[in-house]
Amino acid sequence: MGQATSPRISRQDPWYIRWTLTAAALSALMLLVVVPVVAVFVQAFADGMTSYWNNLFHDADTRHSILLTLAVAPTAVALNLVFGLAAAWAVSRFRFVGRAALLTLIDTPFAISPVVAGLLFVLIFGQRGYLGPWLRENGIHILFSPPGLVIATTFVTLPFIARELIPVMEAIGSDEELAAVSLGASGWQMFWKVTVPNIRWGLLYGVILCNARAMGEFGAVSVVSGHISGQTDTMPLRVEKAFQEFNLPGAFAVASVLTLLAVATLLLKVSIERKARRQIAEAKKMAEAAGAE
Amino acid sequence: MSISVRGITKRFGKFVALDNVSLEAQSGSLLALLGPSGCGKTTLLRIIAGLEVPDSGSVHHHEDEVTHASARDRNVGFVFQHFALFRHMTVFENVAFGLRVRSWQEQRISKRVQELLHLVRMEEIGWKYPSQLSGGQRQRVALIRALAPEPRVLLLDEPFSALDRKVRLELRGWLRRFHDELGVTSIFVTHDQEEAFDVADRVVVMNAGKIEQTGTPMEVFEHPANAFVLDFLGNVNVINVSVQNGKARLGAMEMNYPQYPHPDTRDAAVYLRTHELRIDRFSTGTSSLEARVLHVTPAGAVMKVRLRSDEFGLTLNVDVAATEFAELKLAAGDHVFVSPRSAGVIVSDYVI
Repeated sequence: MGQATSPRISRQDPWYIRWTLTAAALSALMLLVVVPVVAVFVQAFADGMTSYWNNLFHDADTRHSILLTLAVAPTAVALNLVFGLAAAWAVSRFRFVGRAALLTLIDTPFAISPVVAGLLFVLIFGQRGYLGPWLRENGIHILFSPPGLVIATTFVTLPFIARELIPVMEAIGSDEELAAVSLGASGWQMFWKVTVPNIRWGLLYGVILCNARAMGEFGAVSVVSGHISGQTDTMPLRVEKAFQEFNLPGAFAVASVLTLLAVATLLLKVSIERKARRQIAEAKKMAEAAGAE
Repeated sequence: MSISVRGITKRFGKFVALDNVSLEAQSGSLLALLGPSGCGKTTLLRIIAGLEVPDSGSVHHHEDEVTHASARDRNVGFVFQHFALFRHMTVFENVAFGLRVRSWQEQRISKRVQELLHLVRMEEIGWKYPSQLSGGQRQRVALIRALAPEPRVLLLDEPFSALDRKVRLELRGWLRRFHDELGVTSIFVTHDQEEAFDVADRVVVMNAGKIEQTGTPMEVFEHPANAFVLDFLGNVNVINVSVQNGKARLGAMEMNYPQYPHPDTRDAAVYLRTHELRIDRFSTGTSSLEARVLHVTPAGAVMKVRLRSDEFGLTLNVDVAATEFAELKLAAGDHVFVSPRSAGVIVSDYVI
């Protein structure tokens, strides 16, 4: 639809308006996105390749922060994968009391500031929190340790996968799943052979977005981590700490890795987005064709 | 394999989808569940398939109770209204699905699928995906996919409704022949009476979660059990009359009405099919009603004539055979006399 209407509009507008608007958009993009991204790499490599390498891998705390992020983010993504599938399944396959409430609840992490979310977890798991005394008696560490980081990250990224899956699963419907059951498939066979192939692109898209957000998470993680160098500092926390300590090359080296991950995510996202869209479009087309009669 | 359903009740919240329904399909028969949308026919089919669990009552295959058996254990083939083909699998893989989940050997699977593709003349396109097929082809794939695991019962939910009319008529005849060849006990759901009468051995007419009538197509058509069946089968005139002493009257028109032999007058509704009324140019005696021709529509072997009786504020639809019509030479505005052909009359359950 957009393809059909936009050329007509552009033909109606005089050339100077088109040029001005395009120039304005491009310069804003340059100033706000391209220049800072380039600057990150320029700063990171300011003292040369060797120094960059040393900053990243010969600093024990930085090395640990990279490994910690590479452990925390995938764990949070895995938890959200389970939650997202369960939530999307419940919302798209059943009509139940509290369905609308669940839909709203899924979105709350988008509305709540990550710092507030972090404070909520301190309130629950902290020394004087609701579960604090019990956790201490049983020797379980959540705050100021990796489990706390995982919980905070999972909370902040909760909506990503569920929100990607709900429209896909609604569009595809449950007919094929019922067909699989009627043909004798068990619940697992139905899930792996019919549901997963049908939603795979939407699922992957959600995972990528969720992972990008999980690796970059700062606010909530900052509150629950306690900033213990070499123990609970993730990459974004490490960037901040190095920056505070006037270790600019170190800060920019870690920042460049985060930026690279973001760029890689963006490229993956673009290539998969098209496939995810096509999957939904095909599902809708088939549903329309079926309902046309 | 005969199927019987005994005293099935199913509610969705407060809505009663099925209310104490019982029916039986003889081994090897082709049964149609016929009714308007929302009458519970699809729910009943799903309960027989094991895709839905009834609140009470039981489902039996032959002598075995299978009410709580899984769909897998029932070994039932189900054809969905919109086919529900697996869009990410080829035609071959769609048909093979039921065999793979039952862990058949690869060689046997291949042989069985080829055999079925041959049966519907689709051997050449086993590699295609559902989105590349026509509606009729999808329907055939859905059917052989359901038949692949050699089910003891075949259930079809509105199998022709997603197809255009020409393909629908073609496939209808084909399904009937297919059923006769295979002899699998089959039940199909439809809202189209013509389809049900054309294809099925027996027809079960349903309404509002209950069975209104069961019988052969001829029995149901000739002797509708009640007003709903008559009305649903279409082309019915509803005439408000007064009844007394075994007679129903509207003006000069008189019909036998033995159900009400009492001497005190009361109001009732009479149902007459379009072919149960006759039209004459002149009054034939006492039992006729004066009316005016509103318009005439040709419809194949019959002419559909619409009449208006201004005296009683009544509109009537009458089918006149083409030969008879040629003699009458009716045109809009003509004054005619209309009378019931037969004395047999069905009266509504309610009194107006």
